Amino acid sequence: MSASGWVQLASVVAVTAVAAPLLGRYLAATFRGASASKNSAPGDRVFLPVERLVCRGLRINPESSWTWRSYALAVLAFGLLSTFLLYGILRLQGLLPLNPTHAPGMSPFLSFNTAASFITGTNWQAYAGETQASYLAQMAGLVVAQFTAAAIGLSVALAVIRGIAGSARTIGNFWVDLTRSLVRVFVPLSVLSALVLVSQGAVQNFSGLRTATTLAGGTQQIPGGPVSSMEVIKLLGTNGGSFYGAGGAHPFENPNGFSNMFDLLLVIVLPFAIAIMFGRLIGRPRQGYAIVAVMAIVFLGHTVVSMQAEAHGNHLLPASVSQAASSGNPGGNMEGKETRFGPAGSALMTVGTMGTTAGATDSALDSYTPVGGTGAFVGILLGEISPGGDGGGLYSMLVFSILAVFIAGLMVGRTPEFLGKKIRAPQMKLIIAYVLTIPIVVLVFGSMSLVLGAGTRSILNPGMHGLAEVTYAYASVANNNGSAFAGLAANTPWYDTTLGLVMLVGRFVPIVLALAIAGSLAGARVHARTRATLDTSGPTFVVFLLGVIVIVGRLIYFPMLILGPIGKRIVG
Amino acid sequence: MRSTSLRRHFLASIVMLLGVTLVLGFGYPLLVTGLSALLFRHQADGSLVYHHGKLAGSSLLGQSFSDGKGNPLPGYFQPRPSAAGSGYDGTLSGATNLGPSNPLLIGFVPGVNTVGLDGKPSSVNPFATKADPACVPTDPKGNPVTSPAPGQRYARSPDGSYVCDPATVPERAIAYRKFNRLPAGAAVPADAVTASGSGLDPDISVDNALDQAPRVARARHLPLYQVINLVHRYTRGRQWGFLGEPAVNVLDLNLALDGLR
Repeated sequence: MSASGWVQLASVVAVTAVAAPLLGRYLAATFRGASASKNSAPGDRVFLPVERLVCRGLRINPESSWTWRSYALAVLAFGLLSTFLLYGILRLQGLLPLNPTHAPGMSPFLSFNTAASFITGTNWQAYAGETQASYLAQMAGLVVAQFTAAAIGLSVALAVIRGIAGSARTIGNFWVDLTRSLVRVFVPLSVLSALVLVSQGAVQNFSGLRTATTLAGGTQQIPGGPVSSMEVIKLLGTNGGSFYGAGGAHPFENPNGFSNMFDLLLVIVLPFAIAIMFGRLIGRPRQGYAIVAVMAIVFLGHTVVSMQAEAHGNHLLPASVSQAASSGNPGGNMEGKETRFGPAGSALMTVGTMGTTAGATDSALDSYTPVGGTGAFVGILLGEISPGGDGGGLYSMLVFSILAVFIAGLMVGRTPEFLGKKIRAPQMKLIIAYVLTIPIVVLVFGSMSLVLGAGTRSILNPGMHGLAEVTYAYASVANNNGSAFAGLAANTPWYDTTLGLVMLVGRFVPIVLALAIAGSLAGARVHARTRATLDTSGPTFVVFLLGVIVIVGRLIYFPMLILGPIGKRIVG
Repeated sequence: MRSTSLRRHFLASIVMLLGVTLVLGFGYPLLVTGLSALLFRHQADGSLVYHHGKLAGSSLLGQSFSDGKGNPLPGYFQPRPSAAGSGYDGTLSGATNLGPSNPLLIGFVPGVNTVGLDGKPSSVNPFATKADPACVPTDPKGNPVTSPAPGQRYARSPDGSYVCDPATVPERAIAYRKFNRLPAGAAVPADAVTASGSGLDPDISVDNALDQAPRVARARHLPLYQVINLVHRYTRGRQWGFLGEPAVNVLDLNLALDGLR
């Protein structure tokens, strides 16, 4: 990889190392205390009146705190109604106003798939944004879902923290958490970041398609739309769904080298900051940094591998095609990549977001080299913890941490404890269910698609690569990532329906299980730390947790490794 | 008690949904649009470029520089191959999504993806031509044939060799050399023969532009140094010295060429 690739990576690491602790400190001050008004928080003068107004509108008492069941029911009720509303908007967009590109209503299958996709924060896109979604559907439907999906993730993380570390039997109030996340985190950051993107050249207008007369005498349709406002929450909310079909590769969304790195930072800084917030909220900042360390190691691992592979190029091209980087040639595997980003910058941004639920891409993953594409696959298959989605990354890490503590406890013969609370059979049952949910849906639906004609007809690339297209699709949506080996023609009734179902399961089952784990630990006695207590914030635990994540990830991987060679036999 | 709390959750959800749809669905994008129009009108509008008072495109979007039949015009710098519709279609952004060993991308490479006339894996490419050992044949309608089978009919050129699919990288490299009068086997910049992620890449690499400069100078009867100077003037370095890659904006460069007249 060229020097500029390393420098860009170093700059991303440096900015994250400064910005994430600052943001984490702000988040901790904002969300300290179980209820909204007990403690003062930064910006109360501006934000508090808004929150009071919302509470009055919802007719809820901001001081009330609920059991995990009540919290989970509220999340599910809100998710269900949001899905219905978004489905309705997509079906009817052809009749609704603000549709300058004359997008017709989506089919029932595609509407279900798209609604499930955006409500769950997956942002799998089986439609082309330019022509198949109206401005109204993008703004009032998809963008709203992107905001609420992100805020739901953060809210659930807060509830899980209260259950795992707090002394109360209740875990907070969903409406208060949701409102506070939106009002104090997502909306202000989005407005500021959107203006930064527009200053670089990302578009933000309502002009529809304009016809230009090209220099060569032809015509070109120039698209428009409220793009930046969606681009920002797509990234900040670890959603990933773009305004245009080409996503982050489109010059109107991601115009230059700066915006490319800014996009990546928008995705990864907040999940890291949420882990730091966790440490501060429980009064053990080192615990937060231990989780950050694991996230960062995995992030650097799969990202650097992909960057190297893409910069090295595709060895199957003729030798006379110059893939060596020089001052006048970015070199590398340029198929599906933009000149202004080059291979290393493209892989950094695209694969860097694969350890989050964003799956935002600035290049075509399907055309990545086998090793480069594997980097993306690994980010997803390890369960999206590097650094994960907003909130989702943290509660996944907490689940893995409890699993690691349990295994460590078995090895040394001690009763496992996490943050002073004993881990027993009820918690372990829930954790095993949590860890197994996603592999089960991925493998069941993935194998069905490889057997049924409805599944295999959509494959673009032959052989092993086609297998990757299908399994990647299910792994991606089950983890709510939403990136694709886009050669797969996914807008068919089979894929629309099954992928939609997998997204809903992959989002809401882990949420309910995480809340249940938190609920089962809420109010449990906190034991004092003794010399016999396993330290869960030191380097030993970091390495051990890393090992657990990799082994569990491998277990997810294993059936695919078996399927791969067997698949190759059959084809070959 | 459960049912009342569930009902309350649903009622609160409805109010919340209406609220966020109004505030985030309309208020937020309108606020961003308003502020953008105030602060960065040119960018928010799409960095539009006008030529003789008429909209000529956007300096952020690549466009075709081909005649009505799709042949590249030698007097203009040529952009990268594009997978957006029939090429640089602003409504169909996207990539080819061809895998790294797909014959449509790399041609038939023996030992990797090559099949013989009988449809079985083969260690030689039976369709190889003198110019292109990786040739992927086409059928009489011009569609590439990636899984040959007995009985398949192929297009032939007058000398009897197979007609290759022109969109593979080896074929594009041959065409690039011919168009720019480069010697056989000369190195071709990777970006010149691969399609971009958006299909609307506005840029080409510096090497690609310099390879094309002699052709453009010939077609326009301009001294070569003048065209090369122009390439250097429209080369954009890395942003802040380290972000992204150096590139040449094709539309800006071609507009400047037209302005020389």
